[in-house]
Amino acid sequence: MKLFKKPLLIFLSGCVILFFGSGFLKSPYAPVQPIEFSHKIHAGNYELACLYCHSYANRSSYAGIPSVQRCMGCHKITAQNKPEVKKIHEYWNKKEPIPWVRVYKVPDFAYFTHRRHVNKGINCTTCHGEVEKMERIQKVSSLKMGWCVKCHKENQVSRDCITCHK
Amino acid sequence: MRFSLSRRNFLKMLGFGSASTALSSCSSEPIDKIIPYLIPPEEAVPGIADWYATLCRECPSGCGLLAKIREGRPIKVEGNPHHPVNRGGLCMRGQASLQSLFNPDRIRTPMIKRESGDFQTISWKDAEKEILDILKTKIDQQKTGEIAVITPLIKGSLERLLKKWMDAFHIKNHLIYEPISYEDIKEANRIVFSKAEIPLYSIEKAEMILSFGADFLETWISPVEYSKAFGNMKRVDIKRQLIYIGQRMSLTAANADEWISLKPGTEKALILGLIHFILKEKLHSDLPFLELELIKGLVKDFSLDRVSSHTGVSQQTIERIGKEFSKANPGLALGGGIAVKGLYATDISVAVNLLNYICGNIGRTVRFGHEIGIGRVNPYRDMLRLIESIEQSRLKVLLLYNVNLMYNLPDSSGFQEAIKRIPHVISISQFMDDTAKEANLIIPSSMSFEEWGDYMPRKGVFGLQQPVIKPLFESRGFGDILLSLVRSIDEKQKGQIPWNNFHDYLKNSWKGIHKDLSPEIGFDHFWEGSLRRGGVFRAETDKEVKLSTKVSLDSKIDLKDKEDEKSSTLLLYPSIKYFDGRGANKPLLQEISDPLSKIAWDTYLEMNPETAVALKVVEGDFVSVESKDGRMELPVHIYEGIRKDVVAVPLGLGHIEYGRYAKQRGVNPINLLSKKTEEISGGVIWSPIFVKIERINKKKSLASTQGGRRQFGRGIAQALFFSIGKGILHLKTEKDIKKEIKEGKKRDMYKPHPYPEHKWGMVIDLNACIGCSACVAACYMENNIGIVGEREVIRGREMEWIRIEKYVENKGNGLDIRFVPMLCQHCENAPCEPVCPVYAAYHNPEGLNAQIYNRCVGTRYCSNNCPYKVRRFNWFSHSWPEPLNWQLNPDVTVREVGVMEKCTFCIQRIREKKEVAKEEGRRLRDGEIIPACAQTCPTEAIVFGDLKDPKSRVSKLWNSQRGYRVLEEINTKPSVVYLKKIKREI
Repeated sequence: MKLFKKPLLIFLSGCVILFFGSGFLKSPYAPVQPIEFSHKIHAGNYELACLYCHSYANRSSYAGIPSVQRCMGCHKITAQNKPEVKKIHEYWNKKEPIPWVRVYKVPDFAYFTHRRHVNKGINCTTCHGEVEKMERIQKVSSLKMGWCVKCHKENQVSRDCITCHK
Repeated sequence: MRFSLSRRNFLKMLGFGSASTALSSCSSEPIDKIIPYLIPPEEAVPGIADWYATLCRECPSGCGLLAKIREGRPIKVEGNPHHPVNRGGLCMRGQASLQSLFNPDRIRTPMIKRESGDFQTISWKDAEKEILDILKTKIDQQKTGEIAVITPLIKGSLERLLKKWMDAFHIKNHLIYEPISYEDIKEANRIVFSKAEIPLYSIEKAEMILSFGADFLETWISPVEYSKAFGNMKRVDIKRQLIYIGQRMSLTAANADEWISLKPGTEKALILGLIHFILKEKLHSDLPFLELELIKGLVKDFSLDRVSSHTGVSQQTIERIGKEFSKANPGLALGGGIAVKGLYATDISVAVNLLNYICGNIGRTVRFGHEIGIGRVNPYRDMLRLIESIEQSRLKVLLLYNVNLMYNLPDSSGFQEAIKRIPHVISISQFMDDTAKEANLIIPSSMSFEEWGDYMPRKGVFGLQQPVIKPLFESRGFGDILLSLVRSIDEKQKGQIPWNNFHDYLKNSWKGIHKDLSPEIGFDHFWEGSLRRGGVFRAETDKEVKLSTKVSLDSKIDLKDKEDEKSSTLLLYPSIKYFDGRGANKPLLQEISDPLSKIAWDTYLEMNPETAVALKVVEGDFVSVESKDGRMELPVHIYEGIRKDVVAVPLGLGHIEYGRYAKQRGVNPINLLSKKTEEISGGVIWSPIFVKIERINKKKSLASTQGGRRQFGRGIAQALFFSIGKGILHLKTEKDIKKEIKEGKKRDMYKPHPYPEHKWGMVIDLNACIGCSACVAACYMENNIGIVGEREVIRGREMEWIRIEKYVENKGNGLDIRFVPMLCQHCENAPCEPVCPVYAAYHNPEGLNAQIYNRCVGTRYCSNNCPYKVRRFNWFSHSWPEPLNWQLNPDVTVREVGVMEKCTFCIQRIREKKEVAKEEGRRLRDGEIIPACAQTCPTEAIVFGDLKDPKSRVSKLWNSQRGYRVLEEINTKPSVVYLKKIKREI
């Protein structure tokens, strides 16, 4: 039975490290995107307004992901030789949308509207962080209920459950 | 320490191991894609609904629709308030029409029948070639007389194009077929007024309506239009009355002040008796002497005593009706319902015309010159002629467009045999129905939501139908199919029909309408305006009619044709749910129970309790019903509202094919009908059918959604009575209302809720509610309510958030059926709220009993504690077979198994409008928020609004003299007030 002992201990300690470590080691969720799009260049260096690409944010519940046509509006000419920009051209020529990986998601049972938040003057960075400094977009807020309520409490806005639960 | 790997330790390890892997994997999110538009549509904003005006094509009424589009998909339809037919209302079949579009059993590709009898998918090119080969061969042989085209009622551009197309192919035979048609009314108008058309009835203006079997609140001619008018008629003056004369208490009869039951087949005698009485008493309006003598001559045999003994209606009743009807200014007599479409259908309509004529109603409530579309339909006689020519091999090619002849024609007509003898049956169809199954070639046609079109339900009403979604499958619109076929033949024809697609043709054809109606504005402006409005609508002037000097009718009184005393009379009626059968493939229409029988998912035989006792059958027992032409077995439903010598069966079920929801469900009573047609008009003889009924040893539970039929003094459906001269009895006074409010406050144990901003409330006028169940359908479509199927309905697990409760009262001699729409009452002292252990049910600051689905753990305490039984538990996660799920409302969560749900007063609509008001920096306007049930209600019985706003409509109705709250004595303080129904005291 001694044979069993060692690997078992190693396995158990591994589990413990994984269990406790997961909390500390966890880095913000930042999935690899089909195109290495840099918010730092667009929003940081060139200071493009968020609404230029996420154009529904002040009109609808969805902020909107820019259409491929919107990307091409600039990149038809701008930086067309860069390898990542070439990828956009590829999608555009294939007439296919870019399959971005979703970073922020509100669950199906919750109602969230960008329109009210944006038009009330809440900065995009309040929830999405300093996007203009991010090479790859990272999830900086949990989007959990406690996180929503905290802000609603501070700003003394509705905390009635069905304001958000649908 | 010894460590051995025992079973116990192994399991521990396994458990810990998997827990830690599960925990460590928490840090990474599930991969979810977010797909942008390639090129965004110009006007559409994701998350914001667009509304497009189009048309409902579920029946020939031609109501206008507004389709709500979210992210490119129509998710809800509502009545178009600008359309003069339905004026914003919509029936349950219209509400369910999106389930036609997203039906999982639609034909998706063209198909050809192989020799084995199976269908094989072929390409459009091959399918068109097949058709052209057949047509060209016939043209070459100069035998185009062997081709017939059968379509449902199509009007407007499509009809004109079809005519052009037929000319191009030298085809002459075109039949317009509708199972429910009104040739008897048309023929009677030709006989009496020399005008063969169906008139427009002004129900709104009538002070008294006599309906002889015309179910105008359900299926007769244009039910939404007439329901709306009926609601308005009652609102103008509460004392206006409707009297229904027939053997069965239909939904229309249940809404009448009085139901007069008479012996089967004696309607004509009763009407002529009434005329005889009115003329004898000189109660008629001014008539020229000659006309008077003419009519007197026709009714001379119909003295009161003879008519009374013949019909079984007492002399006093006939006298009373005669007096009141002639006094009504104006009155309105209606006929031509399926219940009176028998051997003497035309005679009955002639008699109705005469009754209207002598009382001066023609030109006032019966208005000619409007050419109601349904009058264009070919009578049954023409179908029989067609079958005859098939039998004689004079017809070799049948081109069918969206008609289900195999189902709608009785077996006795011989069509079912004849169709097998036709070499070429081409079916242009949306669904694999009984008829498409028999075709050699099936062409998938688009649904109205996918194609351009127009429809003229009557003169002056040009409805425009625009597509709201691209065809889901490889289907094409009928117009496009015709144009594509004509393009493949020679150049000369192409010159005649140069359009590339039906949209171009339609636009071109609307240039003519533009020229006629408003040439002063540019065409593009006119076209755009028409699209936005849903069409062009012009008020037409009435045409005057004169009594024809050749009026005649079979004026013998002894019209007995009862075969022997043992047989009963069978009455068929089009179901409010399935109409003539076309609704049967929609799961929603199957699931909603019939307003009168409260039965879903099956066909049944309605039988009087006394007849049932004599036959020794109870609810759910099977009987065999045998007529000369057919026999079928079906379960019995006991119904007080039917005569002892009559039984009735609703139409609509009993399809052999027609998709998973309709297939092999129920029976088709049409097969009991005979081949005989009515002599004058050539219509189907729907009644009387003499049948022998025998009990058989078989039983089933019927899927009934209501257990009890009695109120047991609980005052759920309350009514007030009025008597002529005394007015309305027991109406509350101002003092009573004040006292009630004061006492209500005293009873409370807790402090009242503050409701700082809004307090939502609803008022339902039971005097306007007709029980049609359109609200139920609207609620299902708006709120993603699951459909559970027959077995689960029997177990009481249906999910409807609003239901129509039916209660039976016996007041005096009259049977009194009352309807109550029952939904969550959003009580102020809600019994459901304090019992929830997890605060999933709570009271919101605006007076709603809110339910938070992801908090709910499914203890069902709230449902047990709800005195109104309006909470529904999800025993399953419901499924919507692809693409039915495309219709789901993205603003409402799809609930899963183990969660309690209920009416929310359409919280998503409240939220949306509140947001819009905030964005625009203003207060909410009264009437801005309309829940789905209130929006669709054809009689506008439901009013919703803010009780904190004293000027809102709901506040004004709240303390009405007719108001009451259900189960008021338990002090739940509902936010729904019902206004008592008003019935005439008999």
